[in-house]
Amino acid sequence: MNELRVPDIRACLEGAIPANMATCAADGTPNVAFLSQVYYVDEEHVALSFQFFNKTRQNILANPQAAVLLLHPQTAAYYRLHLRYLRTETSGPLFEGMKAQLAGIASHSGMQAVFKLLGADVYRVERIEAVPGEPLPPALPRGGMLAAVRRCSEQLARCNSLDEALNAVLSTLNHCMGVLHAMVLMVDPAAQRLYTVASSGYATSGIGSEVQLGQGVIGVAARERTPVRITHMTNAATYTQAVRSSFEAGEGTMDAATDIPYPGLAQPRSQLAVPILAAGRLLGVVFVESPDDMRFGYEDEDMLVAMAGQLGATVELVQVTGDAADAPPAAAEPEPTASGEPLQLRRFAGTDSVFVGDNYLIKGVAGAILWKLLRDHAGQGRCDFSNRELRLDPSIRLPDVTDNLEARLVLLRRRLAEQCPAIRIEKTGRGRFRLHVERPVVLTEIS
Amino acid sequence: MSRPRIPPELLAMMARGVSVIVASRDATLRPSMMRAMGSSVESEGRRITVFVSRAQARQLLQDLAAGAPIAAVFSEPATHHCVQVKASRVAMRDATSGDESLLARYLASMEREVQRVGFPPHLTRAMLACRVSDLVAIEFEPEQAFDQTPGPRAGKPLVEAAP
Repeated sequence: MNELRVPDIRACLEGAIPANMATCAADGTPNVAFLSQVYYVDEEHVALSFQFFNKTRQNILANPQAAVLLLHPQTAAYYRLHLRYLRTETSGPLFEGMKAQLAGIASHSGMQAVFKLLGADVYRVERIEAVPGEPLPPALPRGGMLAAVRRCSEQLARCNSLDEALNAVLSTLNHCMGVLHAMVLMVDPAAQRLYTVASSGYATSGIGSEVQLGQGVIGVAARERTPVRITHMTNAATYTQAVRSSFEAGEGTMDAATDIPYPGLAQPRSQLAVPILAAGRLLGVVFVESPDDMRFGYEDEDMLVAMAGQLGATVELVQVTGDAADAPPAAAEPEPTASGEPLQLRRFAGTDSVFVGDNYLIKGVAGAILWKLLRDHAGQGRCDFSNRELRLDPSIRLPDVTDNLEARLVLLRRRLAEQCPAIRIEKTGRGRFRLHVERPVVLTEIS
Repeated sequence: MSRPRIPPELLAMMARGVSVIVASRDATLRPSMMRAMGSSVESEGRRITVFVSRAQARQLLQDLAAGAPIAAVFSEPATHHCVQVKASRVAMRDATSGDESLLARYLASMEREVQRVGFPPHLTRAMLACRVSDLVAIEFEPEQAFDQTPGPRAGKPLVEAAP
């Protein structure tokens, strides 16, 4: 029989049934402990949660040999792992991933007051023994995961805009994976925040709502650039993606007025957030959640990481092609004259916040972009624009060339569609778009 | 050395038939371990027997036969109540048909205990599937006992109150 490796026993690491660990003191006295968590690190390593300064701790520091007994949660097959303690990590992606998962486990077992992660103990797996027994037949392997990744990959390869790429990811999750609640957020590195650019399954889209780096499952996944998966959320309050209250935001009334409510489930039971990375940079987060316990397993995590990788590459590519714009399109058909009640738009210069009447529309870089477009439209009668000129325009204050201009435009386009459909932005080619203004507009600057 | 004294409520839990994990170690201090397929606790915890499968616990039995000490943890899955007992030596014998009723009671108790945390009885039966002819009874007198329920008292020795 082939030698077992850690990937072969990942189902046993899902925390459904607590594992046990045996260690031995320097004086030869054995000790048995319960493990809250056996965490998959890679093909040859696992990490165990270090929560207490106890006998196990003393033993592994004196004698790094350990054994762990695992039980398969569906078949009841036993596996014995022979381990060697290597090191303890107290910060970073592994630590944060374990800490979030442990909060879920603690919540599920009513131990949230007791379970606190002090460190991630990393062990090399020297051998995995399949213990003889009379296990139940294994469940049918879960099908369709690889096919779903393939479907997403095919769709992404055909995309030539960020809009299409976001739709490809959400539709794969919805239709191929049965994920009902999902969102994609992009990072604003200067503000240390993520903003929602796409979502599905929620009562309100939440496009434009913000999450701070480090806040909740989404914020931790972004800050640590690591997947975060919680399978029992009952009381994992620290990780609940609470609405960013205006009190928390501080800064008085303006922030409260420009807060778009976070769309997520009020009582999620399972959550999984995966960073979107490209060329070593954080671009955003793909997030899925469910009202059911244990909805997302390690296979879902693997799949989402694969999809997020593809999405990251696509985001970078459409950004590059967007900056190298097509030639300007043929002169547009003359715009039908704007008619109807004038729209009153106000901009607060300090934050680039734009309001339509009394309703908040957009702020920040996307707000500055909208204002430039409307001013050029009003002053020069222009309606065709390019990404490149936005990038070069000092009034927009794009942080730098790596800023995701496409994501800002998606945000703006989607906010307009929801909040002010009389103004539309239509893509007319690579790096080019057209502004449609169907009602007269009155622009007021407030400094 | 003070003699271990396990409080009555924890003793009752252990005697009822709860989860038991047994460990020892070899001459190089490498740990060996397996789940017990049955247990019995007599004489107010002064005599404990745990049953393990020869096929499943080859190294553990070899280590104990070589005279290595034993550690065994009794735990109630639904409450996390947990007691660890240790002894420097054990006596071993083959299980016999005389042990069958005890093993059946243990299995029935474990089916209930594990069901309380949401797993169906057929999983417990697979987890504890064994033939009596394959079992070894390991008997020992605990020399140390520890309350291992997670929390502030975890690891506290359970001993006779000072006179």
